[in-house]
Amino acid sequence: MSDKIAVKVDDLTVAYNYKPVLWDIDLEIPEGVLMAIVGPNGAGKSTLIKSILGILKPIAGSVEIFGKPYAKQRQIVAYVPQKGSVDWDFPTTALDVVIMGTYGSLGWIKRPRQKEKKAALEALEKVGMLPFKNRQISQLSGGQQQRIFLARALVQNASIYFMDEPFQGVDATTEIAIINILKELRKAGKTVIVVHHDLQTVPEYFDWVTFLNVKKIATGPVKDIFNDDNLTKTYGINYKVSIQE
Amino acid sequence: MDITEYIKLVFTDYTLRTITLGTAILGAVTGMLGSFAVLRKQSLLGDAISHAALPGIAIAFLITGAKDGNILLLGALVSGLIGTFWIRGIISKTHLKSDTALGLILSLFFGFGMLLITFIQKQPNANQAGLDKYLFGQAATLVERDVWMMALVTGICLFVLLLFWKEFKILLFDADYTKTLGFNTKFIDILITTFIVLAIVLGLQTVGVVLMSAMLLAPAAAARQWTNSLSVMVFLAAIFGAFSGVVGTAISASENNLSTGPVIVLVAGVFVIFSFIFSPSRGLLFKQIRFIRNRRDLQLQKTLSFMFHIAETHENIGHPHAIKILNNFQGFTKGSLQKLVQKNYVKIHGAMWSLTEEGFKTAANLYNQQTQKNE
Amino acid sequence: MSSAQIEIQLIASLVAIACAIPGTFLVLRKMAMISDAISHSILPGIVIGFFITQDLNSPLLIFLAALTGIITVVLVEYIQKTGLVKEDTAIGLVFPILFSIGVIMIAKNANDVHLDVDAVLLGELAFAPFDRMLVYGVDVGPKSLWIIGTILLITVALLIAFFKELKVSTFDAGLAASLGFSPAIIHYGLMAVSSVTTVGAFDAVGAILVVALMISPAATAYLLTNNLKRMLVYAVCFGVISAISGYWLAHFLDASIAGSITTMLGVFFLGVYLFAPNKGIIAVMYREKQQRIEVSLLTFLLHLKNHKEKSERHVNHLNEHINWQKVRSKTVLDLALKNNMIYIDKHIVSLTEKGEGFTSKAITYIITNKDAQIEDMKDDFFLFRG
Repeated sequence: MSDKIAVKVDDLTVAYNYKPVLWDIDLEIPEGVLMAIVGPNGAGKSTLIKSILGILKPIAGSVEIFGKPYAKQRQIVAYVPQKGSVDWDFPTTALDVVIMGTYGSLGWIKRPRQKEKKAALEALEKVGMLPFKNRQISQLSGGQQQRIFLARALVQNASIYFMDEPFQGVDATTEIAIINILKELRKAGKTVIVVHHDLQTVPEYFDWVTFLNVKKIATGPVKDIFNDDNLTKTYGINYKVSIQE
Repeated sequence: MDITEYIKLVFTDYTLRTITLGTAILGAVTGMLGSFAVLRKQSLLGDAISHAALPGIAIAFLITGAKDGNILLLGALVSGLIGTFWIRGIISKTHLKSDTALGLILSLFFGFGMLLITFIQKQPNANQAGLDKYLFGQAATLVERDVWMMALVTGICLFVLLLFWKEFKILLFDADYTKTLGFNTKFIDILITTFIVLAIVLGLQTVGVVLMSAMLLAPAAAARQWTNSLSVMVFLAAIFGAFSGVVGTAISASENNLSTGPVIVLVAGVFVIFSFIFSPSRGLLFKQIRFIRNRRDLQLQKTLSFMFHIAETHENIGHPHAIKILNNFQGFTKGSLQKLVQKNYVKIHGAMWSLTEEGFKTAANLYNQQTQKNE
Repeated sequence: MSSAQIEIQLIASLVAIACAIPGTFLVLRKMAMISDAISHSILPGIVIGFFITQDLNSPLLIFLAALTGIITVVLVEYIQKTGLVKEDTAIGLVFPILFSIGVIMIAKNANDVHLDVDAVLLGELAFAPFDRMLVYGVDVGPKSLWIIGTILLITVALLIAFFKELKVSTFDAGLAASLGFSPAIIHYGLMAVSSVTTVGAFDAVGAILVVALMISPAATAYLLTNNLKRMLVYAVCFGVISAISGYWLAHFLDASIAGSITTMLGVFFLGVYLFAPNKGIIAVMYREKQQRIEVSLLTFLLHLKNHKEKSERHVNHLNEHINWQKVRSKTVLDLALKNNMIYIDKHIVSLTEKGEGFTSKAITYIITNKDAQIEDMKDDFFLFRG
């Protein structure tokens, strides 16, 4: 972890239709942390990363990636959407999906070539999915699909990774494989931001945490701020129930 | 008319050649773009657009008074696009759901189109004949100019498709992700939609408003069953579409009283049914066969592992046991025992059975796999 | 008005009512396109029925055609279940194929079948009064009137008898099943009624208008109310008014009655779509704009509450830091001043007591999502009315 700020969110407010989802969020994420965003359902966790990535338009506020607006920093940001957000029956192979990670650096019209394919194969290797490269994506298990998504982000070779619930509906082996890769990324000095559900694994997996429930409750090192006080503030009286889930 | 005579006619007879060529090109372009509609889960949009195009044709006629096909098509294009974007407006701005929006625009535009057409038909202007051919389509009215027009549009469409292939593909698969990569998703989206509308409008004269959606969906739905690659799917859909066009035209030309549109749709329908049933990887037939085979394998495995547990208790795995004790086991039948003997897993001596070396190993493997899975 | 004119309007109105009732449930159950599919795919049923009975108005024909409607629904659901294609592709495949079979059946037997595909699709209401119903030689009115009247009576009877079941299964299928109403029976019952209505109405107004009469009044009503009973009443009203005004439009333009009725349906829908008090486009856009201002205001107040340091509360900060392009920061500032939420002292903005209280309340609302605490705020703020 360095002293540089990787992601700076200022006064961010987002509303869906009539419902306010995020309110006046100020957030600074230092470079090189592995951070979990936690909060109850509907707390705006996904919304927060979608707004940072420009998928959603905020009503107010601004986002800076290493001091510049997102649009100028796309090349160094990678995104792993929720697994359920796409149709896995789409006619394409695992390798093809991973190659999509190179599209951003290719820009319009230019086609992926050997170089891109090689990068994709390396990423597949990293997530342990090389033997499945020619599989139709619907024939992969949930965990394997998640690893494909992770590989697609790895191919982008970014400095900051945003992941939306990468552990949801995956088997234990995949969970370990994914967290190992995330820790490797951190070791390489990358910043990783993960929307996370399972509170019990937070201290084990992450070194930084943000509590979110429409407002930002707290943000900082796990060892300092991951405590009952903040959990109760975030989850309210339902806190215990959420832990059991 | 027999088939050789027909083929000869295709090359000699101007009208037949034009129609065959026209329906083939049309089938190819709708099949190609239909793949995108199907994958975007906008299958019924085609139906709505084709109906929504009708008032455009009528208004273009009212304004220009001309029967020029291309001007009418322009009207259809504009009105189809208005319908499409209105559908989107209804879905995004009100709480009406997409099916309601589609049904609304489809029926309201169509009804308004009918009002205009019947109004035109009562006008003294005698020039109006031929507007109702857009309802059910009349391939017979295709002339060479129409075919050129179709070929031109198909060519442009193919060019754009190849140019933006990568962008189309990623947008279809994961729109949000595409946005984060910096692509202007709105532009790609409008491009695809415009071409789908264009293909539909082109087909109105040939297959008509009502059957247009099948031209768009059937080849794509059939093609999807044979491949897991987008490019192959689009290619196959184009082939299926063109083939449906040619065969449909041939059948309707060789019989009396058969309009081309419905026949083409039925031929495309046959493609769909055939693909649904006989596709090797997804088809219903092979799925059923695989299902039965799996169940049988499972039964064999269960019997084998039951035997394994009995044999395990003895030091000598080849120790014979009475067949009778197997009767307590549910999955056991004479047939399954026979199968195990055939596979050389089990030996039978009279009323006794014993595991072979091979059978023991296989069973032990099965057992290990299962315990691993449970962990 | 001649008696034929009255009869036509009567038939059209009855068709409109008979369509609006199942249509309301189709729209609520997100199955509007099924009605489009049914309206086309009944064609082969009609043709077969016609071969047998030689009478477009015979009950057997209606039964056969309605059966084809049910078969369509079953077929669509079967294809969906196989997972070979996505949901709506199944609908888009089944109905054109069945319709094509119908068209070809007519074409191949053109000499025996005096059926016109145009008429099936578009109907000819103008001729309806000429086909009279004779009971023992006494003229008791047009046949279509009797047919659609009977169907309407059955529909209304079923509606009254099963209203509770329909309501529960439409809004909460799980609850319905746990209460012991089989969602499947309600579902197929509704499909059966829709099919019968479509068949009964098609020779008067045509297949496409049936779709329009089913979907548009219900959709228009849905933009005005969320209450099921009211929605039914509104839908029926829209249907009848469109039917009658459409007839006169056709009369003056000398154009197709079906087309004119649909056009009137369209006009009413467009009007409501634009001007409906809560869900119309204009209201929605106005509310969105208001909401943007109010959300900005609240964000601004919240920001003041969160930041005690003066640099964060300087007037100029509004512009450069909060980055509002959509709403001019001046509007927000003025609004806050006007409501006595803030005071400005040497270019430093601070919350007044009222502003403090308001902001705290707003935060509670936003976080708990409970309406009780903000009852009194609702009048001032659009945001909380959603």
